[in-house]
Amino acid sequence: MPVTEGTKGRNAQSDIRASEIMAAAGARELHDGEVVVVGLGLPEVASVLAKRTHAPRLATLLEVGVMNPRPKDTPVGLPDSRSFYRATCWSGFLDVMGMNLHRGVVDVGFLGALEVDQYGNINTTLVKDESGKIRYVNGSAGGNDVASLAKRVIVIMRHEKRKLPLAVAHLTSPGFVGGRSRQELNLRGGGPSRVITDMAVLGFDANTHVMSVLSLHPGVRVEELVENTGFPLLIPNDIPTTPLPSTEELRLLREEIDPKGAHLK
Amino acid sequence: MVDKVKSVSEVVRTIPSGSHIALGGFAIARNLIAVVHELIRQQKRDLTVSQGVVGLETDLLVGAGLVGRLIMGGGSLDRFGPAHCVNRARETKSLQCEDYTSLSVCFRYLAGALGLSFIPIKSLFASEILERLEAGPGASDVKRSRCPFTGEEYVLLRALTPDVSFVHVQIADRDGNCQINGPRWGNEEQAKAGRRLVVVAEEIVPTEFIQRSPERTIIPGHRVEAVIHQPFGALPTTVFGCYDYDADHLRLYVKHAEEPERFKEYLNAFVFGCRDHWEYLEKLGGLRRLEKLRAEPISGY
Repeated sequence: MPVTEGTKGRNAQSDIRASEIMAAAGARELHDGEVVVVGLGLPEVASVLAKRTHAPRLATLLEVGVMNPRPKDTPVGLPDSRSFYRATCWSGFLDVMGMNLHRGVVDVGFLGALEVDQYGNINTTLVKDESGKIRYVNGSAGGNDVASLAKRVIVIMRHEKRKLPLAVAHLTSPGFVGGRSRQELNLRGGGPSRVITDMAVLGFDANTHVMSVLSLHPGVRVEELVENTGFPLLIPNDIPTTPLPSTEELRLLREEIDPKGAHLK
Repeated sequence: MVDKVKSVSEVVRTIPSGSHIALGGFAIARNLIAVVHELIRQQKRDLTVSQGVVGLETDLLVGAGLVGRLIMGGGSLDRFGPAHCVNRARETKSLQCEDYTSLSVCFRYLAGALGLSFIPIKSLFASEILERLEAGPGASDVKRSRCPFTGEEYVLLRALTPDVSFVHVQIADRDGNCQINGPRWGNEEQAKAGRRLVVVAEEIVPTEFIQRSPERTIIPGHRVEAVIHQPFGALPTTVFGCYDYDADHLRLYVKHAEEPERFKEYLNAFVFGCRDHWEYLEKLGGLRRLEKLRAEPISGY
C-alpha cells in the first residue's frame, strides 16, 4: 500500500481512526424512520450508531429474520445469538427478505463488499489472481437480493486499488450494470447511492452512473485517492472534507457499540 | 401409534445414495452435525444438497466427497473462516455448484412447500449469478418471463422439493410438533418443501408442553416422519437458548479444512473415530466442556 500509516490507520490530525470516520459517515446516511437491511460488521455498527443518535426510529433488519436487535459482545455472524439480542421480532428470510425487501418497503441496503467497480457492481463470490486462478469466497447470501431490491444501497469497505477495479471479477450483485439505468436492468431497487471507504465518501453521477467523489476524509489527498482506485473517478473541483465523528459519536462507538474494537480497528 | 422417535443411524439407513437432501443450518448455527456425521459414516454418496446459506454441515459433507451437486445461496463459517471444503471443491471442479441467493433458494422451497411448480422473483436480474445458471446445468431451473397481467419481467424459479429435509430444533414432542426459538431463516419453507421431513431435537417434551404455546409450533407433527433426540446435536455450532458455538473447535476445524490431508485427519478423529454423537461429544471435552458452552437464560448463549 502506497498510503502512509497516518491517513490509512489513524487520522493524522487527531486520534480518530478511519473506521470511526466510516461508521459515522455511514450513520449519517441513515434517516430517522427508514427501514434498513444491514450486514454484519461496520454496516451494523453504523446503523446502531444512527439509532443511538439522530435516528431512534430507524428499523434495522437482519436477513436471518431479526428486527431491531441490540447486538452485544461482538457477534461472529448473523446467526450468532449475540447479533439478535433483545430484538423486537424474530422471523425468517421470507419475512425480512420477502415480505419487506421484495415487497419494496426497505429504504436502504447496507452492505460490505470484496470488490466494487465504477458502476457500483459488487463481487462477493470469487477472486482472480494475476495468473487468472480463481479462489471462491462466500457468494451472495442475501447480498444480491438486497442490491436488487432496496430503494438505495450503501457499501462500506476498505479503499484499495484491487478492491475497486474497473470491472468486478464476478458480478454477484448489480449496480448500474454497463452504466445502464435500473429500469433498463429490470431491477426494482434504486441501486447504489454511496460507497464509504477509509479514504472518502463516494456517490454516483445521476446521468452516467459512474462513481464520483463526494468528500475526502481529513488528511487524505485527492492524488492518493486516485492512486488507490482502479478506475477513473468523477472528481469535482471543490471536494468537501468528510466531517469527523462528534465527541458523543466517538464515545458511543468506543464505549458502548464496539468496546472491543472488533470492527473499529 | 407408531413411535416417530428414532436413532440417527436408523434414519440415515433409510436414505439412499443419490438423494437430494436439504439442510437447515445457517453458517455456524443449528447445523445438522449428528446427521451429517452419520451420513459420512454410512458413506451415502452422490448426494444433492440444497441450502439457503451453507455452513459447517455442508462443508463436512462436501469435504468427505459425498456431494455431487450443491444448490446454495452462498455461505461461510462466519468470522471463523470460509467454507474451505466447498470452495476447494469448486476450484478443482469436483463439485457441481449452482449459486443462488438467500431469497431465491427460500422462494424455491416456498414454491415446493405450496405445491407450486415455479415462483417468480425480482432478484438475480443483471447479475452473473443468473447468467451462470442459464449457461450451466442449472438452466432448466430458471427462466425469464413476463407477468401475464402487467407485462413486468420476472425470473421464474423451479420449485425445490428435496427428497429429505432435515431441521435442527430446540424442542419437539414425540409426534414431531416442533418449536424453534430465535430467528428461523428459511427453515419453515425448507422443512415443508421436503418429500420427507426429519427433525433433530435438543429436547423431547410432552405434547402438553407444546399445547401451552401452540403459536410457537413452526412444524406440525403430521408433517414429520421421524424425530431424532440428540442433545448437543449441532455442536460445534450454536443453538439459541441451548448452547453457544464451540469457538475453539471451529478454529480447529477451519485449520484442518484448509488442507485436504489435514481434513482427512479431522474426519478420522471426529467422525470415523466416533461410533455415535455421544462419543463425539466426549471427544469434544465431555460434560465439563458442554457445561461451559451451555446457554445462560437471559442472553440465550
